[in-house]
Amino acid sequence: MDRPRARDAGDPLAAFAPGDAVEIREPTGRVWRGVLMPRSEFSGDRIVILKLDSGYNVGIRLVSGATVSRGERPGAPTPAIESTAPPSLAATASDRSSPTGPPVAVLTTGGTIASRVDYETGGVRPVESADELLRFYPDLAGRSTIQLVPVFDRLSENLTPDDWVTLARTTVAAFARGARGVVVTHGTDTMAYTAAALAFLLEELPGPVVLTGAQRSPDRPSSDGASNLRAALRLASEASFGEVVVVMHAGLSDDRFAIHRATRVRKMHSSRRDAFASRNVPPLGFVENGTVRWTSDVRPARAGPPRLSGPLESRVALVWAYPGMDPDRTEAFVHDARGVVVAGTGLGHLPENQLPWIRRAVDRGTVIAMTTQCLEGRADPFVYATGRELVRSQVVFLDEMLPEVAYVKMAWVLGRTNSPAEARALLLADRTGEIGGRRVGADG
Amino acid sequence: MKAGLEVHVQLATGKLFCRCPAELTEEVRGTFVRSLRAVSGENRQVDVAARFEFERSHRFRYEMTGSDCLVEADEEPPLGLDEAALDAALRLASWLHARIVDEIQVMRKIVVDGSNTSGFQRTALVAVDGRLAVGGRDVSIPTICLEEDAARRIAQEGETVTYRLDRLGIPLIEISTGPELASGEELRLVAEEIGSLVRATGPVRRGLGSIREDVNVSIPGGSRVEIKGVQELRAVSTFADGEAARQRWLLSLRDALVARGTPPRPGSPVAVDGELADVETGPIRRALTSGGVVLAMALPGFAGRLGRSSDQPFWFGRELADHARGAGVGGIIHSDELPGHGITSVQVERLRRRLALDPPDAFVLVADRDRTRAERALERVRRRAEQAFEGVPGETRDPLPDGTTRFSRPLAGQERMYPETDIPPIALSDARIARAAAPRPKGAAEQRECLQREFGLPAEVARVLVADGEAPAFAELVRRGHEPAVVARLLTQDIAEAADGRERVPAFSLDVLSSLLEALRAGRFSKEGKPAVLRALLDGAPSVDAAIAAAGLTELSEHDLEAMVARIVATNRPLVEARGLDAFSPLMGDVMREARGRYDGERVAAALRAQLERSIRSARPGPPHG
Repeated sequence: MDRPRARDAGDPLAAFAPGDAVEIREPTGRVWRGVLMPRSEFSGDRIVILKLDSGYNVGIRLVSGATVSRGERPGAPTPAIESTAPPSLAATASDRSSPTGPPVAVLTTGGTIASRVDYETGGVRPVESADELLRFYPDLAGRSTIQLVPVFDRLSENLTPDDWVTLARTTVAAFARGARGVVVTHGTDTMAYTAAALAFLLEELPGPVVLTGAQRSPDRPSSDGASNLRAALRLASEASFGEVVVVMHAGLSDDRFAIHRATRVRKMHSSRRDAFASRNVPPLGFVENGTVRWTSDVRPARAGPPRLSGPLESRVALVWAYPGMDPDRTEAFVHDARGVVVAGTGLGHLPENQLPWIRRAVDRGTVIAMTTQCLEGRADPFVYATGRELVRSQVVFLDEMLPEVAYVKMAWVLGRTNSPAEARALLLADRTGEIGGRRVGADG
Repeated sequence: MKAGLEVHVQLATGKLFCRCPAELTEEVRGTFVRSLRAVSGENRQVDVAARFEFERSHRFRYEMTGSDCLVEADEEPPLGLDEAALDAALRLASWLHARIVDEIQVMRKIVVDGSNTSGFQRTALVAVDGRLAVGGRDVSIPTICLEEDAARRIAQEGETVTYRLDRLGIPLIEISTGPELASGEELRLVAEEIGSLVRATGPVRRGLGSIREDVNVSIPGGSRVEIKGVQELRAVSTFADGEAARQRWLLSLRDALVARGTPPRPGSPVAVDGELADVETGPIRRALTSGGVVLAMALPGFAGRLGRSSDQPFWFGRELADHARGAGVGGIIHSDELPGHGITSVQVERLRRRLALDPPDAFVLVADRDRTRAERALERVRRRAEQAFEGVPGETRDPLPDGTTRFSRPLAGQERMYPETDIPPIALSDARIARAAAPRPKGAAEQRECLQREFGLPAEVARVLVADGEAPAFAELVRRGHEPAVVARLLTQDIAEAADGRERVPAFSLDVLSSLLEALRAGRFSKEGKPAVLRALLDGAPSVDAAIAAAGLTELSEHDLEAMVARIVATNRPLVEARGLDAFSPLMGDVMREARGRYDGERVAAALRAQLERSIRSARPGPPHG
């Protein structure tokens, strides 16, 4: 751990580091005894954080005249007990049923599901080793059929399209080594992007690829990470299908998990466990009390072997339409992009003052696609004049395809072709369930 | 005896970490189900108490209400500390001459019994080193904390425990005394003094459960035992004295065990399904029939030490059973209660032979459908039996309605705490502390004396008013012109009587109490009608007028009273004619029944007397015309 930063020349703490037992004697005679803790980045000036014997941390201001001396360590800590999963959940019969069956590969990428509290910064940070992860999920260690493959240790907002390709390649390799299914643990912020990217990048999938994450970090007793992971493992080790899905809580309860198609799922809440929802279609199914129940057709497993269908074009921009958007600023933002996805208002509109840069971009060979920021419903150019004008400018309307999915698909399409016309056709052709189908008014 | 107190007082500000009202409710709007896991803290260790709870492997069902939001559901990060609650804590800290910390760090105290959806209670140390003068001496107040209350436990069915989220997050001020109180009576006095001081900080909840005490007790040679969640101030002394007696009993049990000189080594669990296959009734039969196991464990040296004796309210078999239940089994059977529970003396002999027991040895049986659970239960029995040779184990106990206590879990260590990183540290500048400041109110003794002197209240009434924290309400209502005796009666007796048997007693505002007293004085209902009006208010009547109406006491005019009396007299004409004015007594009963508290008894009596006189006069022949 770092030393607390030096305060001034006569810093009474200079000789001490976090973890040291200290005694602070104030000029009033008041003595504080405790263990020096890392300072929070939000702590005030000259504040020292002490963990008292009671377990409480308090902030004490080092006033002039205060002295700090080495203190006595509090009594020896009680023996460590490793974190464990609730026995009722860890020891269900089917978890133990086929310990020698084909393995499931668990690819870890970081994110909350594999993060712990950083007491120094006060935030959560990814774990640094598979060992550390196993401490959170000891039921993984007990399963001989799981191959843990650390890929990244990053929060998902820091992942890039290059990382999606790396992850897809690792997935292909896992199947090549004999995995029957692959689970990817991932930060939830951009999990839907990665899921969509894997869906476009992976061909001939011989088994399930299941992404899961956590909305609560695993150092919390209430973390949803363990139960999400367990549901994902069940799906990857028992179900038979060949597509990329996201499995997360279906509601606030820990006993029901929704299975979402990778190209239809979106994070719809910043903090709830059931943040993930399928848009425009119902979920593919549910894992309920340990049982998988399909409610829509899932793509069957292919014979394999799986192939990577890359690369991804990185010069793609995503533009959000809003009143008052400045055409010059937008044009500058998209100037070297080969593809631009617009999340338009309503049925897929932009202020008409944006048309000139769109026409110039299309003339340069840029592919421009329109989606709706409503998320639910289709983008449709023929209802209003603006839409018709956009179509005349060769903007391709992507029906109900989600803006982020369209962004990922644009990167994938432009990685396959240099022809704008072909790219526009590929964007509209359904590849993995991302576009088309019926939108019904009544459930079921 | 050495004893200390932790007093927890609910605040009536908003909730501590969200902006929900701090109100309990019966309206459930939805439920969800969760499980919790023991996790490692800052130093990557799992606390023994957390581990213990977690072995019970419960499922938790939570009821959502109008008093909770996504924060209580553990679906949203907490908001900042409620400022009014912090003010109250700071005010109290300065009244107690405590050293307020310079920066508050909210901590997570791991609690995996399900009472917190997050698996931890948020708590913050606000001040240390306070002192409180009680009965002429200073009691030390080592810590003053601000923390969130837990969810309300509603029910348990099998392994599913139901909690309601309305109480979760209500701010609690926690005041601890040093372990320096020497008797139950002293504990009670200190608890009352603290209670009245906290109530003076301002927005404090009233009613049952709004103040809860934890009592720490140890005796020389014993250990610290914490009795958690005593709900009544006066019960504090009962539980403290009872715990001291229990520790004396455990020490004498140890002396007796050690005197026997037996090695303190219980045996290993042995399956005895075969030995007990012919048991026909009782818990063993039920377990075997449902495919369960019966395990036995020898307890060398314990024969005759497990059962009840007439001279003690404690018996060791009960201690063992309480520990075993912690592992999720229904209980244990021990050899001091056999033959019994469907087990015959022949079967007992068989068991003793199987376990190779000598006469001073005892054994326990656990029957359960889950073998692992039965083994875990016996492991706990073994540990507890070994502790009997040492004396008194430090532990947490639950208070029971009969005044005894029951083992709940081991004492928690400091591993339970780690920082709540979702909330940045809160700096307490001198200016911030000054903003919360208020003059220190009178102490409890001073308040009692003042009530007796200024209002002529009897000592006991003054004591109850102060102990319940109602002295300020009393003074204000009297200032508003109400009769002191009537006000005191309302605050100390009437409300409690009307609320008898209710789980939840809302706190009435001073305005409501004042208009109630005003209506009573104006004769809008009589003192006989008071309980009905109070009950209507407790049932949720929005105003005193509405309560009077709901109680069926809507005001009748003088004319209505006369009409009613006239009707009753007319109906009883034969009686009146036969007995004249002597019919008053029997008729008064009828009239009062109908008046049902709407009129004062004296007014009714006057009206009846007048009506009788009129009636008798009119029945006589008139004076002759001359």
